[in-house]
Amino acid sequence: MLERVTRLGEYEWEVPAGTVPGMRVPGRFFLSDSLYRSLESGAVQQLANVATMPGIIRYSMGMPDIHWGYGFPIGGVAAFERDTGVISPGGVGFDINCGVRLLSTPLTIGDLDHRRELIETLYQSVPTGVGAKGPVKLSLGDLEDMMVKGAAWPVNQGYGLQKDIEYCEERGCMAQAESQSVSAKAKQRGMPQSGTLGAGNHFLEIQVVKEIYDPDAARAYGIHPGQICIMIHCGSRGLGHQTCTDHLKVLEGATKRYGIVLPDRQLACAPLSSPEGKAYFGAMAASANYAWANRQMIMHTTRTVFEKMYRIDYESMHLVYDVAHNVAKMEEHSHEGKRVEVCVHRKGATRAFGPGSPDLPPAYAKTGQPVIIPGSMGSSSYLLRGTTTAMERTFGSTCHGAGRILSRSAAKKTISGAKVKNSLSKEGIIVRAPNDGAIAEEAPGAYKPSAEVVRIVDALGISNLVARLEPLGVIKG
Amino acid sequence: MSYEELDHTADVRLRVRSPSLNSLFEETALAMMNIVYGVSRPGTAEKTLELEAGNTENLLLDFLSEVLFLSEVEYLVFSSATVQIAGNSLRAVLAGESFDPERHRGGTEIKGISYSGLKIVKEDEEYVLDILFDV
Repeated sequence: MLERVTRLGEYEWEVPAGTVPGMRVPGRFFLSDSLYRSLESGAVQQLANVATMPGIIRYSMGMPDIHWGYGFPIGGVAAFERDTGVISPGGVGFDINCGVRLLSTPLTIGDLDHRRELIETLYQSVPTGVGAKGPVKLSLGDLEDMMVKGAAWPVNQGYGLQKDIEYCEERGCMAQAESQSVSAKAKQRGMPQSGTLGAGNHFLEIQVVKEIYDPDAARAYGIHPGQICIMIHCGSRGLGHQTCTDHLKVLEGATKRYGIVLPDRQLACAPLSSPEGKAYFGAMAASANYAWANRQMIMHTTRTVFEKMYRIDYESMHLVYDVAHNVAKMEEHSHEGKRVEVCVHRKGATRAFGPGSPDLPPAYAKTGQPVIIPGSMGSSSYLLRGTTTAMERTFGSTCHGAGRILSRSAAKKTISGAKVKNSLSKEGIIVRAPNDGAIAEEAPGAYKPSAEVVRIVDALGISNLVARLEPLGVIKG
Repeated sequence: MSYEELDHTADVRLRVRSPSLNSLFEETALAMMNIVYGVSRPGTAEKTLELEAGNTENLLLDFLSEVLFLSEVEYLVFSSATVQIAGNSLRAVLAGESFDPERHRGGTEIKGISYSGLKIVKEDEEYVLDILFDV
């Protein structure tokens, strides 16, 4: 598979049409020489598979954190034309609207005493890991409401500030949500889990702003050197997982009914205009809204902990932004000299809308959308801004994280969780997780260097660096 | 358990070998429990499942998704499974203990069972399954 790849530029590579039968467009991905060396053949195969799907326009694209997933590669971006295109859960993933938000505080590094106690309090306050139940008992009516209103639901219940809503991608709510397309099973899973972090690579991290690359953008985003921020990474929990499972089954049948031939069953899809496609879109949007509400509730708990421990105002902690990195959205983009409406699938990729784009809060209109790139545990995270180049080249998209290079099992075999914890502790980073295995799986050595991934997106111009944040403490599921 | 973890960068990919389809299904369900919860003890909680699907692979997908669902909403960790497959339908009895945060947080959450690369083949006297879990 890799032998078919051709190089187009310093960071740009092509998978020619014909690499797998039925490709409608070529594949394109963005990597440096050093990251290309860790590219798996499976990821290229998946990128090529996506190019066979009906209605895809321009390219099947892979961001610099591209790696082997299921269905789409992770880091995969593809846009499907509204009238002829399809929608697929394989381009979104099981964790619908897995995403990241960044909360700024008025504290600086010198103010952050009792750090171990802070991490322990957060670990006790934010339910984490397998089997965790949320802090609020939702009724079915509450859940339905949450799926329709998204981040606004917890805010209206007192778990946040009105202005938080404005600082979420899509204002924390996809209007196409249809809670009736979410199964009773998914709702049953979602009811007790709202406000829980989950497990795996999900985390809540205390960070300090270490370096500013773009002072004007940093000022617009309210970020300055030495500042304490909190990054929250999680998704739609069992509700989203079940929604994907339920609709994959329906869409597999639909794929056959509509005569669509696919090289991978996980790419099961249906025309955007079909009843099956619409039902998945509605259920996916409802799950995405649940995820925004979930991150809002976790942020509320975090603010409350900081308010009490450091005697700062709840309102002095600002949501910088919240981005989704597993989602499909209807958006308008330029294609072959025309404005077209497309369904952009981002699977492990972040929206990176440039200055003047719709859906940005007025305060960010000139700067562009904040793009939040979490590093692996113990490594740097980055704040970037969306660009006009991203609008022109990648349907307003960029990378979403570091991207794995070592499998979880290999990480557990070769890395000791206890040793990682100790070495991070020596660097002043406190890790709190339910078990050492969870730490080994997510150890920094298991990931591509986040610095290299963001360097490439910055060099390509599909988003530009604003600030670097370093971890001080992390809680994991 | 007779399963091995195959290489996959992001997720958990397993190869399970078993002499019969029934035991293949049973072992895969228990492998899944092991990934999510770590080690568990036998228990008295019991759940019965009946399912039908268009083919064996879909029957397995539906079965595993159902085990995951039941385990999560009933807060149960299954340590035994008895599966009887007849054609494209299945009856399963799952038994185990209640979820205990002190003992069952040694694993990682499975978000879903992927269709990618799923295959069941019969090699000589045994069935061999390749399956990928999104974690």
